[in-house]
Amino acid sequence: MTTYTTVGKPIPRVEGTHKVTGNSTYAADVQLPGMLHCKLLRSPYAHAKIVSIDTTKAAAHAGVERIVTADDLPEFEARYMSNRAYNLLAGEEVVFHGQPVAAVLATDATAAEEALELIDAVYEELPAVFDPLDAMRDDAPPARAPVGEIDRSESKGHVTVEVEEEQSDKPSNVVSQTKFSRGDVEAGFAESDVVVERTWRSAMMHQGYIEPHATVASYDPISEELTIWTATQGQFFVRDQISRMLRIPETKIRVIGTELGGGFGGKIFLTQSLAAVLTRITSRPVKLVFSRSDDLVGANPAGQCVVDLKTGMKNDGTVTALQTKVIYNSGAYPGAPVVIGAILIGGYYKFPNLEIEACEVLTNKVSVGAIRAPGAHNVTLAIESQMDMMARELERDPLDVRMQNAVEAGDEMPSKAVYSSIGLKECLKAVQDSEIWRDRNERPATPGKRRGVGIAVGGWLGGLQPAGAHVELNGDGTLNVIVGSNDITGTNTSFAQIVAEELAVPLDMVNVVTGDTKTAPFAGMSAGSKTLFTVGRAVKAAAEDVRSQLLGVAAERLQAKVEELEWKDGVISVGGDAEKSIKFRQLAGITTGFGAQYPPVIGRGAISARQQAPGFTAQVAEVEVDEETGEVTLLRWGIAQDAGFAINPLSVAGQMQGGATQGMGIALWEEMLHDEGGRLINDGLLDYRMPTALDVPNIETYIVEVPSEDGPYGARGVGEPSIIPGAAAVGNAIEDAIGVRVAEAPFTPERILRAMGKI
Amino acid sequence: MTTAETTTETPREASALEKVTVRYTINGEQREVEIAPNRTLLEVVRDELRLTGAKEGCGTGDCGACSMIVDGKLITSCLMLAPQADGSEITTIEGVAQDGKLHPLQQQFIDHGAVQCGFCIPGMILAGKALLDSNPAPSELEIREAIAGNLCRCTGYTKIVEAIAAAAD
Repeated sequence: MTTYTTVGKPIPRVEGTHKVTGNSTYAADVQLPGMLHCKLLRSPYAHAKIVSIDTTKAAAHAGVERIVTADDLPEFEARYMSNRAYNLLAGEEVVFHGQPVAAVLATDATAAEEALELIDAVYEELPAVFDPLDAMRDDAPPARAPVGEIDRSESKGHVTVEVEEEQSDKPSNVVSQTKFSRGDVEAGFAESDVVVERTWRSAMMHQGYIEPHATVASYDPISEELTIWTATQGQFFVRDQISRMLRIPETKIRVIGTELGGGFGGKIFLTQSLAAVLTRITSRPVKLVFSRSDDLVGANPAGQCVVDLKTGMKNDGTVTALQTKVIYNSGAYPGAPVVIGAILIGGYYKFPNLEIEACEVLTNKVSVGAIRAPGAHNVTLAIESQMDMMARELERDPLDVRMQNAVEAGDEMPSKAVYSSIGLKECLKAVQDSEIWRDRNERPATPGKRRGVGIAVGGWLGGLQPAGAHVELNGDGTLNVIVGSNDITGTNTSFAQIVAEELAVPLDMVNVVTGDTKTAPFAGMSAGSKTLFTVGRAVKAAAEDVRSQLLGVAAERLQAKVEELEWKDGVISVGGDAEKSIKFRQLAGITTGFGAQYPPVIGRGAISARQQAPGFTAQVAEVEVDEETGEVTLLRWGIAQDAGFAINPLSVAGQMQGGATQGMGIALWEEMLHDEGGRLINDGLLDYRMPTALDVPNIETYIVEVPSEDGPYGARGVGEPSIIPGAAAVGNAIEDAIGVRVAEAPFTPERILRAMGKI
Repeated sequence: MTTAETTTETPREASALEKVTVRYTINGEQREVEIAPNRTLLEVVRDELRLTGAKEGCGTGDCGACSMIVDGKLITSCLMLAPQADGSEITTIEGVAQDGKLHPLQQQFIDHGAVQCGFCIPGMILAGKALLDSNPAPSELEIREAIAGNLCRCTGYTKIVEAIAAAAD
């Protein structure tokens, strides 16, 4: 095994001090002279015709500079209008509760907010539909005017799948569907010893980043340059979209992805276009910061999902057939993760026969965006619950049946794509060895409660996008690394480790900078668990380029052949001879100093990524259920995840723990609740209940390393998998504890008591 | 079909309110500022005093990102009106490091990998500081209780709890 000096070590974040001293700049911290504050008037109805908007009184309010409605906005080509981002302010029709209809621009935020209440907007309510099953009925009212071509540019950033989706040809709320099949499901069920058929529901939930959406945009009419400071996971994506929308060349747009207060798929492109249009209209800087209520009501949460699933198994534990219909509620604009859901539900186990149908349905709810592993937790709840139910019926060990049927390298996904090296079995093995699993039948419950342990797995295929990086040698022998990817949780530290490793220098000689879209080499969005997997490879290539340039200079200087040179501790020598050697720092001098004979050393790394490296996880949850109240307490949690190679085990463990905790939220608390009119009821963090430090147990992490084929040092993406199996693991643990199955997440006390027949 | 109109209540006349002067000792420094009396401490500290380390995550006291220590007590500054803190001694995240050196809590947060996106961290560190100032050797449960009002969406809290425990040692 190769021994590394810097990669593979748990290194604290190199840029960590800014974040503990309050010196990091997030988008809402940006304040410019003459800046206007924007607040949005949102529709109180889920579906209505806008009759009129009278802004006279509001415009006269002290501090208000301008009020903008759809009439003031540029018109976009019809083919883009299926994309939520192009619908800046509703024109004739509002299609979800909370849709912005007017923007107030004032000298301070309070004045803007006050003015909202002075706008007279008159609506005529239209029939609305909220549940996806209702929306699919032939007599359902249309959630909105038909959408044309579906623009999926954003969702492609999260996962790369080579599958065509069918779009409906007749007007319908069902906007797209995907089908996969393999073998003969009827024959498969016929040879099964147990068949389980259930309907699983999971709720609309929010990414829950603690920093609400924020953008500051500034347009200079003289130079025609647009600068945008924004909380985004993908600054280049924002630039490209704004350029396409507003027909501004990309050379005139500088997008500065500020420090990002969490994204989890929800912060890609939402507020930037409106802010850009408003600064162009006013020629003054515009700040658009969401309140928490704005964010819960009107951002782009994760959609609700209904899964009908039928699965079969033989007495010996072999899976036989899987038949399913997966329905995603995408809200008022298309964008639900249909294809990935269809692949994953049949993608964990070797079902010889399967029939999968997945579709996305428009309703009058806020349109959905990505969430960490979009679509995956919904389908995983279904398949991972039923694996347990079948094992239980056959009195087999739930972990053993998973191990027996788990996919491996070379197996086909439902889409017919073939898995490269993957570590699902290794993850199962890791949790099998954990104390939580081993003593699962031995720990006594608290009096009055029942204790149970559940297991579930999950997987994510991973996104792909080309990426570039520069590594430059400074005059003092230190190195600057320039990337264009937005660092949310520590990727820049891993990049520093890669460069330090490749050039055999101490970590503190490497400085990583995230440039903006005018200065940095291209990178895709920090989404789809691909930043380290793609940009990391580019960084490694750039460091290798620096290495070969330095060797070339050293060879000439030392009058030797490159192959005779040794590279050790920052000194390049001919066969280890101290007399014939040159130090890194001297090399820096002769490539940057006055009259230097050699050109500056600028390493270039540019890669295209074609092969995904799917990441799997297996998790075990120990719970206690209070049979009187239906309340569930999480006692212990263990997560195994295949990181391929953990470049920074400290960051990897952090990703695992964070995602697992979001999975706990999906399992027990998180649900966006709407009234009969489709209005969000819980639009604050007191009622939209995310896990607190008291809800979450200590989370044990078991890092599994099955090298990927393409990732740097064998690394694979680690961001996404951890969120996926939480709900299923908790559901399985609940059944283990009280013998009752709850088929709708979150598993609230009410749903548990109902399943127990107590209410 | 129904026709409906949004309500048009009389708004709060904030901009018309007479300004008041408030004085704070913030991070050891005397500051005086003229403000409308209905502004929150968070708004005044961020917008007027330009200390942007404290964050607004909810505006309703539920997330703890705006936590500050006022006269020795941890508060959510988005719920405190600026004049309520008149004459008070305030510590924000900018005042935790002393003499160009990180506070042990800050160092432990870095060393334990307790920082991911960082948005909750100013509040977390102040919550940890308020705890350790009054209870130098807290149990794990006491640590979890002390930060239960501070939401973090990235870490799952394990490493934050470890960092605070390590700073107590």
